[in-house]
Amino acid sequence: MKKSLILSIAIVVLALIVTGPLVANGQKEAAAQKEVTLNWPCIWVGEDAKASAVADIVAQFNAKYEGKIKVVIEEMPSYDVYDKKILAQISGGTVPDIFTLKWTPDTRDLYDSDILVDFTKDLAAGWGDSFDKSVLNEVTLNSQTKTIPFEIAITPIWYNKTLFEKAGIQGFPKTYPEFWDAAAKLKAIGITPTSQMTGGANAWTSMLWYSHIMASIGGPDVWDKPLSDPIFVQGAEILKKLYSDGNTTKDAIGGGPAIPSGHYLAERTAIFCNGPWFIGNIRKNAPEVYKVTELTSAPAVPGGKSGAQVGFIQTLLASGATKDPAKREAAVTFLKYMTLPENVKRISIESGALLAPKFTFSANDKVDPLQVKFVEAQKNASFIVSHFAGKFSASVVQEFGPALDKLALGKATPQEFVQMLQDANN
Amino acid sequence: MNRNLWKSTIRVLKWVFLLFFFAVALLPLLWLLVTSFKTEAEFTKFPLQLPHLWQIQNYIDAVHIAKMHILFINSIIIASSATIFNLLITSMAAFAISREEFRLKNSISNILVAGVLVPIVAFMVPYLALIKNLGLYNTRMALVITYAAINIPISFFLIRSFMTSIPKELEEAAIMDGCSFPQRYTKIILPLSRAGLVTSGTLTFIWAWNEFIYALLLTSSSRVRTIQLGISFFSTQFRSNYPAMYAAIVLTMIPSILVYVFFHDKIISGLTAGAVKG
Amino acid sequence: MNKKTSNARWILLFLLPIVLLYTAFFIYPFGFVFFSSLNKWNGISHMKFVGLQNYVNLAMSTTFQLSIRNNIIWALSLGFLQVGFASVIAFILARKPRFWKGLRTVYFIPKVISGVAIAMLWKAVYNAEFGALNAILTFLTGHTWNVNWLGEFNSALPAIIAQEVMYIGYFMIIILAGVMAIPRSYYEAAEIDGASVLQQELHITLPVVWGTIVTSMTLAMAYGLRHFEATFLMTGGGPGHSTSTLAIMMYNKIGARKLGQASALGTVLVIIGFIVIVTLNSTLGRKSLTGEDT
Repeated sequence: MKKSLILSIAIVVLALIVTGPLVANGQKEAAAQKEVTLNWPCIWVGEDAKASAVADIVAQFNAKYEGKIKVVIEEMPSYDVYDKKILAQISGGTVPDIFTLKWTPDTRDLYDSDILVDFTKDLAAGWGDSFDKSVLNEVTLNSQTKTIPFEIAITPIWYNKTLFEKAGIQGFPKTYPEFWDAAAKLKAIGITPTSQMTGGANAWTSMLWYSHIMASIGGPDVWDKPLSDPIFVQGAEILKKLYSDGNTTKDAIGGGPAIPSGHYLAERTAIFCNGPWFIGNIRKNAPEVYKVTELTSAPAVPGGKSGAQVGFIQTLLASGATKDPAKREAAVTFLKYMTLPENVKRISIESGALLAPKFTFSANDKVDPLQVKFVEAQKNASFIVSHFAGKFSASVVQEFGPALDKLALGKATPQEFVQMLQDANN
Repeated sequence: MNRNLWKSTIRVLKWVFLLFFFAVALLPLLWLLVTSFKTEAEFTKFPLQLPHLWQIQNYIDAVHIAKMHILFINSIIIASSATIFNLLITSMAAFAISREEFRLKNSISNILVAGVLVPIVAFMVPYLALIKNLGLYNTRMALVITYAAINIPISFFLIRSFMTSIPKELEEAAIMDGCSFPQRYTKIILPLSRAGLVTSGTLTFIWAWNEFIYALLLTSSSRVRTIQLGISFFSTQFRSNYPAMYAAIVLTMIPSILVYVFFHDKIISGLTAGAVKG
Repeated sequence: MNKKTSNARWILLFLLPIVLLYTAFFIYPFGFVFFSSLNKWNGISHMKFVGLQNYVNLAMSTTFQLSIRNNIIWALSLGFLQVGFASVIAFILARKPRFWKGLRTVYFIPKVISGVAIAMLWKAVYNAEFGALNAILTFLTGHTWNVNWLGEFNSALPAIIAQEVMYIGYFMIIILAGVMAIPRSYYEAAEIDGASVLQQELHITLPVVWGTIVTSMTLAMAYGLRHFEATFLMTGGGPGHSTSTLAIMMYNKIGARKLGQASALGTVLVIIGFIVIVTLNSTLGRKSLTGEDT
């Protein structure tokens, strides 16, 4: 009797716990009426370099439009799960009011269905002047612009000037034959020349190198060529060489992002490749390397173009289509606010990121010197091409790492490497 | 003489075995602790070395950045409610299935257990739809019910196997005494299968405590979120501050270890005495 | 008569909550997954019915065949090695040797630590440039080791499985709970008959907890079949897909927005697992508890 009494109490308590505060708690958000609420599942939170600037700008916006529009940041602390949650929400028919995405061929699927707000008219009515024409053209499909370019990236080759001097190398090599000579000199003083990786979601560092190589071989229109074109095999041969003869560390095969950056920061390697978001990391964790880091374009292949850079739109803003005109208006108002020159400039200075909307630094701005070098690298480039991952479908990009494993371990020839990428297309 | 040699060989082997697994199990804990006192720079450059200077900044960051206290309370409420809820429904079902004869019981049992295999990541789309349709999106209840449900197969499986091993005679005596169906459940079977209950309860609690993907999928505000999401704040799009993350992990492990040591261990240790009576 | 119908009602009532919840959280989602496996679907546009095309594509993919093979290796390693080690440890601990309480807690701790941290530890141990394993082997053998354990075709899979198999805490606590429930009197009788410790374990402990061990083996194999976490965190399926598993493949397909194919993988996984569970239960499981048929 006593036991069943305890059990009944337990059930009642459980029922109370379960139905009371648990349900009530999250539902308050619908309370305020009239005011349009925009939910923004956002990755720029926590320790992210843009987090505090973005939070401040949203707070200012909410203060300015108090009683009319309220933007609520839903903190999404995992970049990996972010894409999957957005996809699950879209599949379930509830596209977030504001969200960010990457620009890849797969983004076309989003344009083809009526799930995003179309900004074409708003941009034509003046907002478009905030952006470079070329950038907007890139995100316009069938004369519709349904995403707003926000963060752009340039991923030059980084090198450690001090280590180069120690090895007796004068300046960064301009061609691959010179590059291999320089690599030999670095190895002679016990330094592994380059940081590479085949792991992670898309073999990031090495994928960027391959993009540099392909830019030199194929020129500005390299990605318009099909994978069956022999130039892709030619590029793979150079990539293979980067993985041979101790030109990179042994753990590059299978290594995630921590491997190439860790080696570069610890001065075990002298050459690295990444975007401006890495500035904060190197400045904090290896100030001595930060001071001697120079940026450059990759060497040219024999007979290829020189001075190219790899650059692309890193993040776009988008808004879920809605039947409510007030909500659509609110979303456009907010996105316009986000792309105001002063707001963009603030995010750029605080985070080191390069942003798509136009703005100019003034003499008083405390711009990071390395960030300035990025801007220069972008200006000095003879031409800029996208990275590989931005031009091929996710299936092909996913295959890049595994195919590179085989290439690097000698289990696949450069032809077979490219064949694996082609097969993944199906 | 020979027998003594044999005995001491066994003894040595036993300790080699115990200590090997002890060392392997202790390694991650040491790694976590040591790393949590390093700076990010030291960790990035030399992951396996001891810190140059032991510093507690990471712990300060962990509490500060991740807003740990709210998330901590949420985690406790969610993990324990899910565990109680899960144990209640699985033990009721396991009781009916292990102690009664009826048609379909083996099929029901097999279907329930097969749930162990389901790759839970495949269910993101349907779970989100389900929780939204139930009106539970962004509530603690969403996680309680999801965690309780996801652990049905394991708990049912374990509890059923413990209940099956209870001798039939015990129950028959109780039926003679006029015990009703629910009384047999509460008075006889539940107490006798408490080893199974605490084992699956411990596993469910720890699973719920560590769960990450659904916590992120089914909630959107930190008011209802769990501690694991706090930990992930240290890992951003382009950079992960592992020492600070490890400090947060060390702090969040404590409740799980306490649950294991005080809840599971105490009850299991008490079993020998209980079993003699049975 | 009356009693029987009232019993039936109680049974129904006791099963109702689990049936409801299981239907909502397993059967409906599985139905959804199965349905979408018959379609071409990117998660955004409408589904397009393609029949068994996704399954045919899978069957022809070499990565799929490799993943199935790897999953079988995982299931056997966890089912026999991990549960085997866990059983031995549980048997020893149940006899309460010195420090047994401390040992038991430490064995279980890795289960409490997040998989992310454990995977990073082993990545550092197996690393080719500064890893601890190469250093230890160099010290022991006297010549230089610089194997890239997680980046070579031969060593990657064994390396991931080895670290997983050594974490026996999960099954140890399940089996220990069973062993501790055995009445002391069983052993006292055997001791009087002069049975050695090994004989006692073999003739008393093992038969009594056999059902629990089979339960653990079934669970371990199920975990082997749906294995994801350690591989995802340590190699992501590489080098060159050589450590891929069905769940890793499925995760990648979701990432590539090939939700139809991802669902087909999920369906295959559940079907294979169901066969394994039923077979194990009907062969090994029959002999639970002192050989009696339950």
